[in-house]
Amino acid sequence: MFCLETYLRESEDYEIHMTRSGFKDCARFIENNAPEVVHVKPGEKIVGARIIGVPPVPIGINDEKGTIMLPYTKPCYGSATVEIPVPVEEREKIRAVGID
Amino acid sequence: MKKAIILLGCPESPSQTPLAIYATQKLTGIGYQVTVASTPSAKKLLEVSDPKEHYVQNKTDIESCLDGLEEGDYDFLLGFVAKDAAVSYFVTFYHILNTQSLALVFHRDQEKLEHFENAVRESTQADITSARAYHNPTPLRVRLDRALDKLIDPEPNKQDKKDNVDEPEKNPKLDEQEDS
Repeated sequence: MFCLETYLRESEDYEIHMTRSGFKDCARFIENNAPEVVHVKPGEKIVGARIIGVPPVPIGINDEKGTIMLPYTKPCYGSATVEIPVPVEEREKIRAVGID
Repeated sequence: MKKAIILLGCPESPSQTPLAIYATQKLTGIGYQVTVASTPSAKKLLEVSDPKEHYVQNKTDIESCLDGLEEGDYDFLLGFVAKDAAVSYFVTFYHILNTQSLALVFHRDQEKLEHFENAVRESTQADITSARAYHNPTPLRVRLDRALDKLIDPEPNKQDKKDNVDEPEKNPKLDEQEDS
């Protein structure tokens, strides 16, 4: 099973679009830049990690690149926008928990 | 026994650790079993402040706590909100637990204080108590006391209401700029 925390620790194949930002700025970036956006409830498990944020939390999906873009928040560092490659089945799981 | 969780944010503000210990003893005193969820650095501050665990017996890591958190795990959520990330964490815990909640919002800057307060208000039905505070924990302690009094007795009797009628919602003295 894909795990976001482990992936970010062990891989270099990801892109950080924003860092040390406010959640709303990260959410806006995803809304404006992802080809497809799915909104989920805060606390929903996305790629093995609880998604942290203010509802509705946007998750960007790019099927062409095979990536998702999501806000990633840490208590002392604020929110970042991270884009990671994930298998197609993980993208389907995100669509399945969407609240749109 | 009812269970409460206190959610701590980044321990950057000096007010957080003493207020976390204070809030723990208040909630314990009114019958809650209290768990404090925090970052490793906030936990270390608690451990040094309360080495024999007189006040805080249950400490847990915020990330692992969140990972296993389910609705019904706690009866009351108290969140310390002094940063944008703390708003996100509080709102997330609130939506998972779906229980009675209080956000203790504080910042030294009035604009940020109002911004955090509004962000919590727009995303939850939680009670909110707030004060401009950084070094001095007293304004927050006073407001926390008031909020917890409401938790114990949400409908104080008429005499109490009459007694409180002249009390302003915001005490100007407490809102004064504190010394650095």
